[in-house]
Amino acid sequence: MWGKEMKDIKGIVVFASLFLQVLSAGALGAEQVAIQGGTILPISGAAIENGIVLIENGKIAAIGRNVAVPMDVRSIDASDKFVMPGLIDVQSRLFVIESEFNEGRSIAPELNILDGLDPFIKEAPEVAAQGVTAVYITPAGRSLIGGSGAVLKLNGSKDVGRMLLKGDIAVKATIGVSANNQSSSLGRLAQYSSIREALLSTKIYMHQREKHAREMAEYNKKRAEYEKKKQVRPTEKVEKPKRPDRFRPNPTREVLAKVLSKEIPLQIEAHRVTDILNAIRLADEFGFTLILDKCTEGYLVADEIARSKADVVLGPVTVSFVETPRLEYRNHDVRNAAILSKRGIKLALGVSGRDGASSKFVALAASIAVANGMDKDLALRAVTLTLAEILGVADRIGSLDVGKDADIVILSGHPLDTLSRVEMVLIEGKTVFERKDKQ
Amino acid sequence: MKKRRFLSFLVILCSSFCLLSSGGEPQTLAIRAGKIWTLSDGVITNGVIIIDNGKIQAVGENIDVPEGAKVLDMPDMNVMPGMIDAYCHIGLSVNVQREIDETVAAVAADMQILDAFNPHSDDVKKALRSGVTTIMLAPGYRNPVGGQPAVVKLDTSKADGWVLKRTAGVDFSVMNQALMFDREPTSRAGLMEMLREELDQAKAYKAEEFNPRREVLKRVVDANLPAYIWAHNVDEIASALTIVDTYGLNAVLVAAGQGDEVADMIAKRNLPVIYPPLLLSSRDKDLRRAGKIAGSGVKLAFSSLAPKTDLYDLRTSAILAVKYGLDKETALKSLTINAAEILGVSDRLGSISQGKDADLVVLKGEPLQLTSSIELVMINGNIVYQRQEE
Repeated sequence: MWGKEMKDIKGIVVFASLFLQVLSAGALGAEQVAIQGGTILPISGAAIENGIVLIENGKIAAIGRNVAVPMDVRSIDASDKFVMPGLIDVQSRLFVIESEFNEGRSIAPELNILDGLDPFIKEAPEVAAQGVTAVYITPAGRSLIGGSGAVLKLNGSKDVGRMLLKGDIAVKATIGVSANNQSSSLGRLAQYSSIREALLSTKIYMHQREKHAREMAEYNKKRAEYEKKKQVRPTEKVEKPKRPDRFRPNPTREVLAKVLSKEIPLQIEAHRVTDILNAIRLADEFGFTLILDKCTEGYLVADEIARSKADVVLGPVTVSFVETPRLEYRNHDVRNAAILSKRGIKLALGVSGRDGASSKFVALAASIAVANGMDKDLALRAVTLTLAEILGVADRIGSLDVGKDADIVILSGHPLDTLSRVEMVLIEGKTVFERKDKQ
Repeated sequence: MKKRRFLSFLVILCSSFCLLSSGGEPQTLAIRAGKIWTLSDGVITNGVIIIDNGKIQAVGENIDVPEGAKVLDMPDMNVMPGMIDAYCHIGLSVNVQREIDETVAAVAADMQILDAFNPHSDDVKKALRSGVTTIMLAPGYRNPVGGQPAVVKLDTSKADGWVLKRTAGVDFSVMNQALMFDREPTSRAGLMEMLREELDQAKAYKAEEFNPRREVLKRVVDANLPAYIWAHNVDEIASALTIVDTYGLNAVLVAAGQGDEVADMIAKRNLPVIYPPLLLSSRDKDLRRAGKIAGSGVKLAFSSLAPKTDLYDLRTSAILAVKYGLDKETALKSLTINAAEILGVSDRLGSISQGKDADLVVLKGEPLQLTSSIELVMINGNIVYQRQEE
């Protein structure tokens, strides 16, 4: 008698716990958020008035005017507001430990910026509060070839691994940047030829690596034949094939080999006309994917850049962002972005500020570019989608499209109006900032 | 399309040429604009500005255009007074801050910055493109007494008439950057003592002694000439106030970056502040300071400190200050009329009102919209910059 009752109770308990599990799994696993109303700027397409963005599991599940919103989702009212993808600073120094900014060695492509970051920087939330949801950080400055950069999300995590969206975005190189404000044409030529030499040695290295692989394949074949013969006729004397010398992989060359085989772009910081042209010449000679960084005097050689098909990561838009404007910025022109973008050059805009917190000025930099002739839509793209495309992360971020990460900013007005206030910032559907002093 | 652009360029070129060449004979000009930000009588919608002989003759909504007047019709445009950069170092052919000052002598009261100014410098063209029509050209902060700043209108390609004040005051600095290891003073106390000694001697100066350095400092201790005092941190501001109180100077604080923390002390003494460029710091705490200082009743002007920041960003400073709490009207005034008052040139500049110089900026969009482009700039009724498509 007891036995049967116990069985029933057991059955009920099991059922109930299963039911609860399903419920909680539903709540946690498939969390849904709906942003409703307002003007949606998807960036990848035209603005949507009074639209809805539906978020599921941190991804955008649906977007448009006629989206069926399930019953019990978390709803965010965005009427009279602007909704857009999170901004990205492509020339950020956030999380970078200043004193460790440069490595003494001049050719060090095997270094990874991820190994030298401080995720505890206290200004990071201030940057996110201005609608910046991701930053691209590279080793910068004095090394000729300085290592690979990464895109990080400002999701508030203190774990670099959790902030990381993608590493090994590009290898960073620098031509013609003077550390001490001395700039001799001979010195610049030496920098250029050092980079060229590194690439040339890599080409030779790749050739040797290939040759070794061929020889090894040959050897393995002969060795197999030898083993077979020995097995069949153990007494017969067969000459044992000679193993080729061991090949020692070189970490520096391995990284540059990835550049030369177009797996990773080479991002070359170049300011002055000669340096920009030399960067293009290198790309022509070695056939790597070129990203021109800074590109201060680009407007003087816009046609050459357009012809080279290189992408440009331009900044600073204004020299006010630079601590002490060095000789490289002598011919800086605030109209640079407008002139380059009008030639159809694929262009991202960065802040390139004096410190990490400067990354909050992404929208401001775009606004200054617009005031000086850049098309409004192109300027917005330059800090979101085009930027993500250049960095190869457009499958995850940069626009509001189904399947992309729900990194979303809600503003009181148009993002290029500096006086618009950021109301809310979501990263992968989770609120990382919400304005408190609402009037 | 190209042809049309070229034609419009020709028209612009011709009209600019007519206006530029009209300098010789007096001519009447009428500007019709969508919005006129007068800074003295609010904003006039669809208004008219009548300019005669380089001066504003009338401004308002229903004003008859005199016969024979040249008319500039700009119904989509905003017009504001030429902006004033209250502190910068352009046209001095320097690349770095360090080169601005003569640092062999710690007291350079008789040095006139105008002597180092190149009126044909490219910097001037860049300034005009930014909508800045008047600047205070100044020495830096690395000397306790840095020299005499000048107030200059930027139509410097003319032979004369652009210097408003050769000696606008005397530049002082109580900042730690004025201390140097290879010349005195080397400490704050030493610096203060040096200033007291100079000012005491100036007080006792008599004209027959003929000492140009004493003479100009005498005008400062008599409060006939303003003292522009560099002080950034709270402790430096305190030192500056000590000197101001001791000698009863007619003073203006330069920088005062941490001024919000002692804003009541500054306000009590009625000292205006020439505020540094906001883009020099990116922390929220610093970006809020300008608004807090002005909120305490301190009169504010903005500066670019160019080449420290780009002169273009004078307006960016004002807009950022608004974003971080400064009242909109105060921000616009700080770019124009308040700056003119602080520099002592408000009888001629700073607002669009009758009798003032026709120094105007035409923008496509409102002045506090950063995306608004600067389309045309005028000094004394002459077009000195007109935007062309890139």
